[in-house]
Amino acid sequence: MPDVALPLLADRIRAHAVRMVAPQGFGYLGQALSGAELFAVLYGWALRPGTDAVVVSPGHYVVAAYAAAAEIGLVDPALLATYGRNDSTLEAIGTERSPGMDLTGGSLGQGLSAAVGFALSDRLRGRDDAVTYAVLSDGEMEEGQVWEAALWAAHHRLGQLVVLLDANNSQVDGPVDTITTLEPLAAKWESFGWAARDVDGHDTDALVDALGAVTADERPGVVIARTSTRHGLDCLPADADGHFIKLPQQLATAALAELAARGA
Amino acid sequence: MRSAPYPTRSKAYGHGLLALARRRAEVVCLSGDLTRQCEVDLFQDALPDRFIHAGMAEAHMMGMAGALARRGHIPFVHTFGVFATRRPFDQIVNAIGYPRLPVRIIGFMPGVSSPGGPSHQAVDDMALMRAVPGMTVVDVADAVEAAQVAAAVVDVPGPVYVRLRRGDTPVVFDDADPLDLHHARLLRQGDAVALISAGMMLPAVLAAADTLDAAGMATTVLHVPVVKPLDAASVVAAAARAQVVLSVENHSIVGGLGSAVAEALAEAGSGRRLVRVGLADTYAEGARDAAHLFTKYGLSTQAVVDAAWVALGRGGPPPAAALPPAEVGEYAPV
Repeated sequence: MPDVALPLLADRIRAHAVRMVAPQGFGYLGQALSGAELFAVLYGWALRPGTDAVVVSPGHYVVAAYAAAAEIGLVDPALLATYGRNDSTLEAIGTERSPGMDLTGGSLGQGLSAAVGFALSDRLRGRDDAVTYAVLSDGEMEEGQVWEAALWAAHHRLGQLVVLLDANNSQVDGPVDTITTLEPLAAKWESFGWAARDVDGHDTDALVDALGAVTADERPGVVIARTSTRHGLDCLPADADGHFIKLPQQLATAALAELAARGA
Repeated sequence: MRSAPYPTRSKAYGHGLLALARRRAEVVCLSGDLTRQCEVDLFQDALPDRFIHAGMAEAHMMGMAGALARRGHIPFVHTFGVFATRRPFDQIVNAIGYPRLPVRIIGFMPGVSSPGGPSHQAVDDMALMRAVPGMTVVDVADAVEAAQVAAAVVDVPGPVYVRLRRGDTPVVFDDADPLDLHHARLLRQGDAVALISAGMMLPAVLAAADTLDAAGMATTVLHVPVVKPLDAASVVAAAARAQVVLSVENHSIVGGLGSAVAEALAEAGSGRRLVRVGLADTYAEGARDAAHLFTKYGLSTQAVVDAAWVALGRGGPPPAAALPPAEVGEYAPV
């Protein structure tokens, strides 16, 4: 476990992400900003490396996963500087071979099936204590495979499977709720047989409480984390495209200064 | 080898998989709502703890299989060939292919062996699977090979796609004949025409070879159970002995055995003329039975004879294919 408080760990994830994206001038920074607290709670509080498994379904979020994994020693922090560069093992969109987690992938909507496979393997081998955590995004819930996997997990009562859903209302073409209505999110998961909690995804205490509750439930669990792709960086312009943020050097410098002022 | 008409056997693959699984605890069996049809009701009954109903959810099934393989299980995944390849192609590429995981995808009911219409006819499955880097593609011919295929592929590095005939399957080879994944099998040698076949076209190819031999056209028959990686050396050697080469497959002529043979011959500078016998870039419609489709779409014994005859430039009518009548429980090609 890192020796920093979870809100500070979240800001450290943001700072890593800014430094990783800045050399390109644009990138998947919004995913790290919306998911920072969620990844801080997952890697800094819940995860027991070697026992539990982590699936990051949307590979666009790996910038946050690499940062969190580096903070707890699963990835060499020096590698973060190679993010997205030619020949780096840290691809900008995570792949099935990316380090720092058990599985990720860039073709969206597939991660929950993999998490189900891990949880099923644990059951087949009698590893009753192991928990499989799957980070999902709200946008990828438009893919049908997510629902295939959700049905299957509930039918087989995979209680050691927990989804952390980053509900940032962001996808490429705009806010998710202008493209396809997913609400009511919690009711949908509950109707599929899952234990669901709907919380402020930037409140680490609320995330910890919800994660503890759904993990203890004998049904598979989902924590719906309500977030924003601009959270934690007031310097970002109001119209920043949350899916793929432009980050010129001047803005990156301002962002790092803002985070440093909070201790990150 | 036996002669036509051939005896038939049922569930050769299913018994072979179960025997393998009894020896190998890593083997798990997934089924996409086609358990009896894919012969794994045998597995379900005998080893229920390692049998997994994925349900009618092929994309999810492939994702689960990839994760299970990462954990050291060896998943054998079962459904019809169409649903095993077309529908979950992206999942196969990303969850299984790219990380080179040892998932064994078993697609039943190849080509036009189904009267179920184009939705059920796997006429492009080999093309799709050949395009996946590192994927081994196997198209077995008979019940003897079907019985051996699970054990033959279990330790192949990376993913494997196997296409298997559904239902009663002819017994062409002797039971002692081993299924060799590394070498094509030269069954007959002749210097006029080389017939290169994969999968269930073997009985028609052997009958066509009998007909051509009797008409004075000495025929080579090369059986290719592994379409990828292709035993190119055997293909090129067979072509070198003949004036013309025919590939014969129960699949589109685009992307399957015919394409693999064309690539091998061209890259070797063979210069032999190749005729691809198979579905000529079409879907197959209007069937009560598979035999009708094989005849209608140019996959009959006579179609192979005719193609060889024309390719060799022989004048006059081609010889009529001699087909032994099959009793109930026996198999002979159309």
